[in-house]
Amino acid sequence: MSQQYGSVELVGDETVRYFTMAVLLAALTAALSQISIPLPGSLPPFSLQPFGMFFAGLLLGPLWGGLALALYLLVGIAGVPVFSNGNAGLGYVLVGQGTGGFLVGFLVGAVVAGAIVHRGTTPRDLRTVSVPVQVAGLVAALAVVYAIGVPWLSAVTGLPLPRAATVMAPFVPFDLLKLGIAVAIVEGGYLAVR
Amino acid sequence: MLTYRPGATVLHRLDPRGKLLVQFGLAIAVVAHPTVPWLAGATLLGLVALAAARLSPLTVLRAYWVVFAVLAVAPFLAGVAPGPPWFRVDPALRSLRLVARVVPVLFVSAAYLHTTSVRETRAAVQRLVPGKAGQLLGVGMALVVRLFPLVLADVREVRDAIRARGGQQRPAWERARLLVVRSLERTLARSDRLGVALRARCFAWNPTLPPLAIERRDYPVLALGVALALSPLV
Amino acid sequence: MIALEDVTFRYDDTRVLDGLSLSIPDGEFCLLVGPNGSGKTTLVRHLNALLTPDSGTVTVDGAEVTERPVVARTTVGMVFQHPRDQFVAATVGADVAFGPENLGLDREEIDCRVDEALSAVGLADRVDDRLDSLSGGEQARAAIAGALAMDPDYLVLDEPLAGLDWPARESVLDHLSGLHDEGTGLLVVTHDLRDLHERAERVVGLDGGQVVLDEPPETALDEVQALGVRDPRC
Repeated sequence: MSQQYGSVELVGDETVRYFTMAVLLAALTAALSQISIPLPGSLPPFSLQPFGMFFAGLLLGPLWGGLALALYLLVGIAGVPVFSNGNAGLGYVLVGQGTGGFLVGFLVGAVVAGAIVHRGTTPRDLRTVSVPVQVAGLVAALAVVYAIGVPWLSAVTGLPLPRAATVMAPFVPFDLLKLGIAVAIVEGGYLAVR
Repeated sequence: MLTYRPGATVLHRLDPRGKLLVQFGLAIAVVAHPTVPWLAGATLLGLVALAAARLSPLTVLRAYWVVFAVLAVAPFLAGVAPGPPWFRVDPALRSLRLVARVVPVLFVSAAYLHTTSVRETRAAVQRLVPGKAGQLLGVGMALVVRLFPLVLADVREVRDAIRARGGQQRPAWERARLLVVRSLERTLARSDRLGVALRARCFAWNPTLPPLAIERRDYPVLALGVALALSPLV
Repeated sequence: MIALEDVTFRYDDTRVLDGLSLSIPDGEFCLLVGPNGSGKTTLVRHLNALLTPDSGTVTVDGAEVTERPVVARTTVGMVFQHPRDQFVAATVGADVAFGPENLGLDREEIDCRVDEALSAVGLADRVDDRLDSLSGGEQARAAIAGALAMDPDYLVLDEPLAGLDWPARESVLDHLSGLHDEGTGLLVVTHDLRDLHERAERVVGLDGGQVVLDEPPETALDEVQALGVRDPRC
């Protein structure tokens, strides 16, 4: 007979489930940040990075979705090359090439999207959430990302705010397209089994 | 790429909490004081940190060359004017001064990465953040470090499979959708298996934490970090 | 002694376990066979409260497992099918330490258990290696060490040999035999009896969520073909 280990306080089954999903979505965000789909002509490559934030907010709600993105940032700060182009380090997040605000924006965006879609810390079944609400949550998340990212870019590089906004503007339509794809994936019935 | 290398330098032996604090403090200080004397002092501190870590500044510049190249464009963009004289020097110089802040911050950050294992950073986070949140962040970091290469391999495999079946002919948005759906599916399956494995091994709120101790040599580092972080108030 | 009594478990509308009773005495080497979907994995996950039965009871040494999951999970160690999915840290030693850390043991005891568990599977000199640098057989053995570090009386292994090449298979089996000789009870879920049937003391066959075969290997081999297993003597 083993010892009793009376003081061990097990993490509850539901918590383990949300926690492992947060961990895996953090790893998926890191993986998708390394992959982009080349577009024809002089268009910028189609980065898959925002999907991490979209799914974290949609599937996990504000608390666990926020944890997923927080883990992504922390692992990068600790030195694992998880940011775009294999970058890492606190210095990269804080100043980097001026895009660190977008990384922090993803974290806040996931929390905002999760709060709008799930209206509480416990994730609810997405089948009970209407598509307009899901879209509203993700649009708000994108707004947050740009609201943090553009002033940050301006602060780090010294570009005036309007000019920083002009630099980032071409990415907006692509991000809206990704938003549409994310909602389509969730609504496509594939996640209904969960 | 800059990664952790085991070693015996002073920086290797310092507590990760002090080193993290100095990084935050330095970033705060140079944002608050983008003046030439502060920048010179910060750059000197960055060089000292690199020397203490036995890391050449050239290695760091090479590792972050994309970052520096992108940043170098900013002063030109800031100086360009829509009408005569077409280029104005003052905004360009201001931008240059702001961009120059990046250099010391990246130097110190590189010294940290070179001398601190992920395990130590995890232990620091677990101690800095109290209670259940700290436990989930600490264990979560270890798990993400473990799973990132596996998930990245999954995503690449899915991408190659789509290519192998003529995915190139499809529009980019459809390829993105296919790639993301399949990757997400595999990721969630891994999540289920990980959950069972964690529970089987008594995943608990109150485990024995990885060892970490503040020693006498860490106090000056902590003091420097606090001083830098509070410097905007001066 | 592990005992299941009249255990029923439904998944959606299917009865995966259908009034199943089975007892496994201390120290026995038992094989669990059955076609895909016969309920093998579901059954073993009941043994340490990873799943809770809809009706019936599961007891280990007389105590009901769902009431004291920590006792159940330290008495019955579980090794899952894909070793890569159950590792929680990047290095061998850190992963094996995960279970004992959750039990709140002090650092000295943890180090001692890690060392013992790794010695038992022949990996004592690989403690600082990255898990990804291990071969398939070594990964399987590292996963076994992770369960052994909980100091269990029984070890349950779900398809521990799947996908291993011949030498790796032999080495895993030799270490399992060694554990059995020292008194650890083994329950091995398998589709392939080669090299296992000579070592085991009992074969239990499962079909449709019920025990349909329960005999010593010598006589069981005549009947295993009906359970999706090839007679290893042919």
